[in-house]
Amino acid sequence: MASTSSAAGAPAHSHGFGPGKLFLNWFILVCLTFSTFGVSKIEMPVNYHLAAAICIAVVKLTLVVLFFMHLWWGEGINRVVFLTSFVFLLVLMFFVMADVGTRFKLSNSRIPPLPQVDQRMMPTGMPPGMGSLPQGHPHAPGQSSGKAGEQ
Amino acid sequence: MQASAARKMTPEGWLEPPPLPHHYETEENHKNALRFGMWLFLGTEVLLFAGIFVGYFVFRSYFPEAFEQAGRHLSLFWGTANTLVLLTSSFTVATAHYFAEHGKNRNAFWLLMASVVMGAMFLCIKGIEYHDKFEEFALPGKFFHFNEITAPGGPIFYVVYFFATGLHALHVIVGMSLLTWVAVRCWRKEFSPQYYAPVENAGLYWHLVDLVWIFLYPLLYLV
Repeated sequence: MASTSSAAGAPAHSHGFGPGKLFLNWFILVCLTFSTFGVSKIEMPVNYHLAAAICIAVVKLTLVVLFFMHLWWGEGINRVVFLTSFVFLLVLMFFVMADVGTRFKLSNSRIPPLPQVDQRMMPTGMPPGMGSLPQGHPHAPGQSSGKAGEQ
Repeated sequence: MQASAARKMTPEGWLEPPPLPHHYETEENHKNALRFGMWLFLGTEVLLFAGIFVGYFVFRSYFPEAFEQAGRHLSLFWGTANTLVLLTSSFTVATAHYFAEHGKNRNAFWLLMASVVMGAMFLCIKGIEYHDKFEEFALPGKFFHFNEITAPGGPIFYVVYFFATGLHALHVIVGMSLLTWVAVRCWRKEFSPQYYAPVENAGLYWHLVDLVWIFLYPLLYLV
């Protein structure tokens, strides 16, 4: 193998881009970075922004994985491994977001914190005139109405 | 290190490749196994960051206004600069891989060192950003005292921000160490068309670090 490859200085199984095409790939990636920056400045609903940003990021990911990481020329098994990890990511994302998206809104996220109460202002005992705690819960069904009827 | 010292210099100007481990039949077989192992590892790295990205989307759906407000408070200039720095370092690493594969160890060395310098630049820029956040108390959890984010969920955004970028920065540090290690080996002219797996695998790791940033940048800074 060495004798065949060393003459030209090229490996026996040369694959991948040379510096020129790698530079082109870098240039496209930089353009995409500026395009995602530009898109973020356009007036549109935030969900569209999110979708556009993710789409451009996926294109950039594809370029990096295929040409910088050589998956374009890679063995099939490496493609399967990497794609599978992304499928698992999507499975995780889908079920978690489906759960979160179909729940009721968080009821406590917008309530301001309770005001601080000075403990010295809190009642320490029963109001004047009431000697002891009433027996039973005043609003318990049956009990309170019965007492009201006696009075 | 002793193995490399014992290896002879070939007439082409690189060290002869290390002996093939006995459990591999051919060089090609060995190369593919090394590459496959790295891709498996990268798959687990994707799943590690998957948790963080899912966390981002869950909290974003709970606190959309806070995430928008906080995103606007991050420095777009530094975020974009960091993206360009990382993309360029990915390009230099990919080119170093090409040169190592062609036995041009010195070219690969300089490109790898340039990548390490860019990694350091990335960390410095990240440091500037972290410093600004600490100054304005835009911090996670109970340390959050930043009045310009009025919507609920500000502290949660900064938990996601510091955790995601912190874990990413840790990967940058590991990647820089790996690149320095293979750069030293390039300087010793260890790589040749027959043996360049360390450059390739360290490069793959670095590209993954770049990939994670490709998603963090728009999600944190732009949306």
